[in-house]
Amino acid sequence: MKALILVGGFGTRLRPLTLSFPKPLVDFANKPMILHQIEALKEVGVTEVVLAINYRPEVMINFLKDFEDKLGITITCSQETEPLGTAGPLALARDKLADGSGEPFFVLNSDVISEYPFAELIEFHKRHGGEATIMVTKVDEPSKYGVVVMEEASGRVERFVEKPKIFVGNKINAGIYLLNPSVLERIELRPTSIEKEVFPKIAADQQLYAMVLPGFWMDVGQPRDYITGLRLYLDSLKKKSAARLATGAHVVGNVLVHESAKIGEGCLIGPDVAIGPGCAVDDGVRLSRCTVMRGVRIKKHACISNSIIGWHSTVGQWARIENMTILGEDVHVCDEVYSNGGVVLPHKEIKSSILKPEIVM
Amino acid sequence: MAGAEQRVVAVIMVGGPTKGTRFRPLSLNVPKPLFPLAGQPMVHHPISACRRIPNLAQIYLIGFYEEREFALYVSSISNELRIPVRYLREDKPHGSAGGLYSFRDYIMEDSPSHIVLLNCDVCSSFPLPDMLEAHKKYGGMGTLLVNKVSAESANQFGELVADPDTNELLHYTEKPETFVSDLINCGVYIFTPNIFNAIEDVLKQKKDRANLRRVSSFEALQSATKALPADFVRLDQDILSPLAGKKELYTYQTLDFWEQIKTPGMSLRCSGLYLSQFRRTSPHLLASGDGKRTATIVGDVYIHPSAKVHPTSKIGPNVSISANARVGAGARLINCIILDDVEIMENAVVIHSIVGWKSSIGKWSRVQAIHLGEGDHNAKLGITILGEAVDVEDEVVVVNSIVLPNKTLNVSVQEEIIL
Repeated sequence: MKALILVGGFGTRLRPLTLSFPKPLVDFANKPMILHQIEALKEVGVTEVVLAINYRPEVMINFLKDFEDKLGITITCSQETEPLGTAGPLALARDKLADGSGEPFFVLNSDVISEYPFAELIEFHKRHGGEATIMVTKVDEPSKYGVVVMEEASGRVERFVEKPKIFVGNKINAGIYLLNPSVLERIELRPTSIEKEVFPKIAADQQLYAMVLPGFWMDVGQPRDYITGLRLYLDSLKKKSAARLATGAHVVGNVLVHESAKIGEGCLIGPDVAIGPGCAVDDGVRLSRCTVMRGVRIKKHACISNSIIGWHSTVGQWARIENMTILGEDVHVCDEVYSNGGVVLPHKEIKSSILKPEIVM
Repeated sequence: MAGAEQRVVAVIMVGGPTKGTRFRPLSLNVPKPLFPLAGQPMVHHPISACRRIPNLAQIYLIGFYEEREFALYVSSISNELRIPVRYLREDKPHGSAGGLYSFRDYIMEDSPSHIVLLNCDVCSSFPLPDMLEAHKKYGGMGTLLVNKVSAESANQFGELVADPDTNELLHYTEKPETFVSDLINCGVYIFTPNIFNAIEDVLKQKKDRANLRRVSSFEALQSATKALPADFVRLDQDILSPLAGKKELYTYQTLDFWEQIKTPGMSLRCSGLYLSQFRRTSPHLLASGDGKRTATIVGDVYIHPSAKVHPTSKIGPNVSISANARVGAGARLINCIILDDVEIMENAVVIHSIVGWKSSIGKWSRVQAIHLGEGDHNAKLGITILGEAVDVEDEVVVVNSIVLPNKTLNVSVQEEIIL
């Protein structure tokens, strides 16, 4: 089976992290974001993944070669020369997706983190025999999104309503689809929206079905959602493979620590923390609801919450980092500094406190 | 003593990518030395100045950027000016004097009698031929270009004291906390090859001290200040300061403009200084027009030959328009740098700003920096900066903001940094 992952553009909402790496390679729970999806696809028998990008592929190519070898799956890039929207890239990659076997192919939005119940999705798709299946997820405030109105029993989609003013339903498009190759004939090679142009037509033909996504769902394309997403992901990890989470007197709640990271004495880590490869957390450190990327050093007595610490940064002794502070790659926060929501671009040294949220360039 | 062949080699220090973050966001897209001022890459201006030195044998650019960032520029400028220009990459930081020393074999290849050392991010008239004559008369090892500035701003630089009669450098301090002098170091030097001996002496001293530190374990535990590696030699603190007052170093004062180009705001200001220099030295490079068949030009304006500017637009003062840019009907540009491939639509206004490559400015939109009160101008020199490929939609107003590359603005913004 094949899959297309819509990687899209510059990932500006995840800056400053995306100033150092393209968004699919930004780590989430100690693994490049896109690897979560590729691994789940490999598990259901996908043999080739196409990445639809409109940004320089050179940076990605090296990483992809690595994944290809380790996972035994073929990964190729389909590069848009002009932004093609959410459906156009499928037309661009049609030769790779429609291989004549008649098998359906997956389309994923790269920012989405979930449990990826792909086996169930394949089952559901076969059972209804329609042309396309989209996964939907329940949200509290449907008016912020595009709502999918469907028949409860069969899941057949009746229509889409963009940002509805009155309540029409609480399920929104989760950005995970399983499509028959015939869908490709409905898409022209031009900037096209799959939600606004393609799916409504398939729905009108009564060929579009929706499956409610079991488990959590999060679009982690921006820092606030990234942090919430980590909480949901670790919750789910606890249920499925609790052995991977850290345990011990210094651990509270769900905490993921890479095996090569070192944690000192007298620390309190958690809840909802991910500590990446090669990190060094010195004695007496408090970490909660944060991500610490590869190679970071957190010095003694520091306290970090609700923040993301970028690759190879250091946080000084007694520093306090909180309230959506995002440190880019190689940022060094001096001892005793306080950051309240600072957003710091790569290769900076922070010598004085940041009292209210601001961008440090 | 006029030697038979008094060859001169020039060395221009261009810095590197992670060192100066003050030039962001422009430095996210282009190495600072290649950012255009008055239509030419920043480094072009000191290179052109070096060309006026008699018997110039070679120009070296030394820095930390990847070779490929400078490859194209270096080959085209060598061709254009008919002087060998070569980029040498430092493998690791050695300090400003250490870097010079690490390339001494290249520099001494032409057996120069004098070495000119310049910082790339300095905006100056670079009076090098006169400075060289003065240096020869002084007969010392080195001559520094110096400038008189306001007492308040002097502590941002290296402050120095010179003998009013002999011009000898008597005292030098880098960025002092208390006032020493209003005479500052411009970052332009002329040395005789003896400079390498002076640097060697400092290296030896440092090595000896490092060996001593290894023996004494207490010293080894000290990490209060970052211990510099033994082969790190800074020109200012390690060479100039100790040699001041020993009849080795002299000063030459520039009476022309001089600025440091550390931020995008300063680059706009320096672009203006170079444009006004063109007015004096090469007026044919500047644009002119009266609104009849070509646009109305006010003050000093540079327009690249491939740019298209509508005759009903009004441009200047201090505007630089780069290759393939298009300026639409009725547009107004004041004090700005418009980079390559920018499209400015009808009736748009751009003031005190830098518009990045491939950006587009919509109809009736306004991209501007405004500062109330003249006094603050020096402090931050805030300008509005649009990074590469930023689209400002029709009628949108962008004031006192910085926009990173690849963004679209469809609502007006003020005082914001947009990542």
